Amino acid sequence: MITVTSAPPFATIQDLGRPGYRDCGVPPSGLADRDSGMALNALLRNDANAAMIEWAVAGGALRFEADSAVAIGGAEAECFVDGRPINMRTCVWIHAGGELRVGRITRGRFLLIAVRGGIEVPIVMGSRSTLLSAALGGLEGRRLRNGDTLSIGETSHAPTPREVATTVKLDGTVHVVRGPQAQLFDSAAWDALLGREFVVSQASDRTGFRLEGPQLRCRFAAALPSEPTCIGAIQVPDSGEPIVIMHDGPTIGGYPKMAVIRSAWISRFAQLVPGEKVRFVIDE
Amino acid sequence: MKDLPTIVPLGDEALLVTFAETISWDVGESVRGAAARIRELSRAEITDVVPSYTTLGVYFDGSAIAYADVVALVAPLLAAEEALAPRSDASILEIPVRYDGPDLEEVAERTGLTVDEVIARHSKRSYRAYACGFQPGFAYLGDLDEALALPRRASPRLRVPPGSVAIAGMQTAVYPLQTPGGWHIIGSTSLRMFDATREPPALIRPGDVVRFVLDEP
Repeated sequence: MITVTSAPPFATIQDLGRPGYRDCGVPPSGLADRDSGMALNALLRNDANAAMIEWAVAGGALRFEADSAVAIGGAEAECFVDGRPINMRTCVWIHAGGELRVGRITRGRFLLIAVRGGIEVPIVMGSRSTLLSAALGGLEGRRLRNGDTLSIGETSHAPTPREVATTVKLDGTVHVVRGPQAQLFDSAAWDALLGREFVVSQASDRTGFRLEGPQLRCRFAAALPSEPTCIGAIQVPDSGEPIVIMHDGPTIGGYPKMAVIRSAWISRFAQLVPGEKVRFVIDE
Repeated sequence: MKDLPTIVPLGDEALLVTFAETISWDVGESVRGAAARIRELSRAEITDVVPSYTTLGVYFDGSAIAYADVVALVAPLLAAEEALAPRSDASILEIPVRYDGPDLEEVAERTGLTVDEVIARHSKRSYRAYACGFQPGFAYLGDLDEALALPRRASPRLRVPPGSVAIAGMQTAVYPLQTPGGWHIIGSTSLRMFDATREPPALIRPGDVVRFVLDEP
């Protein structure tokens, strides 16, 4: 069992998500940096879909009530076990009663704390992922707070692996493909999207990332009948300020989708923090 | 104008089929018919099939199947004239409503109707669910009586309670969750529109027929 002794402003339980319910309006949710989460689970010899803590914004602390194997990655942070600094992306043993303290997050947005055996919360609609807007999944459908306790799943007694997991490269270049409404944007808009830098806005979370930068003008004010969206869709409202749909975002919407981030770049994009720059490259 | 329906990529793990440029119930029936036939394929690589007003989203696991192969599976189910016939597995739902919403009087004032007339016009007709989405369990129902059509509120409410029955434009809906909302709230229901322990969790699915009936205290 894990006790949350000092919760950060934002931490939820996530696994690989809840596909299959988009037609009920339920977004897929799941780890924003899925690639790093899968690498950490592989390192710990967990099931690929084992749930972990997605931790953001600031530091905090967890107490492990039993001997546990833990791996931390995704974002970069200064982490300590019983006061001693630990390496990221490697399997670290924490003895019963030991404390994991997360200091400053130095790079990236989502720090992933995986434990051998996975975090055991009830499976809701096929997933342990938290969807805050519907108070669904995770721990009571909400963020972690001080005093919460989390169960750890059955663990195998595999030897402690020595390798270092490869998690996503934190870099602001992101590949996209043309979106369903690509033709509604003229060459000036395309030159802006592909030739200029955008900055991730403060107004960005697991539902969507707003981008600040050149305005992207649609050829005409298109009022589309609401249509299916997807993770990574770069949609452009009338304001010309793009919003990228993320894992907990709306399942349908009426804004033109100029481009869509390729699935292989979603994890990298998700790790961008407010104020960080992003450049888009198109794959034809 | 391209021949419809068209299929375009929606990122690299989904495709979007467009059946028409404008909304109509018949177009919706074609969308839902195609959705049902794609689901009948029971392909594990296809994770979600999402019908909307004029479009259909088909989502797949890009590590298990290629875009071109999904197009090859889906295209024959859209093309055949006969295959576009609507399906009739939709439910008919009755939703008990108390017409006690905070905007009821304002709606009456702005439409030039009495409160009783607003209630009668809203509860008199059958609605059909055009689409379900943006948030869990939210179904867009139409068409509203034209006499009740109003633009959305100038300033959306920050918190609309779950179960609120609301109208905007030519549509009506029940808010499943406590969310911000810009529709005019005319009533409330105690039915749970979304329940994760139910299968399916959304009470109203696209294509369903919905009637609002007076829930007399």
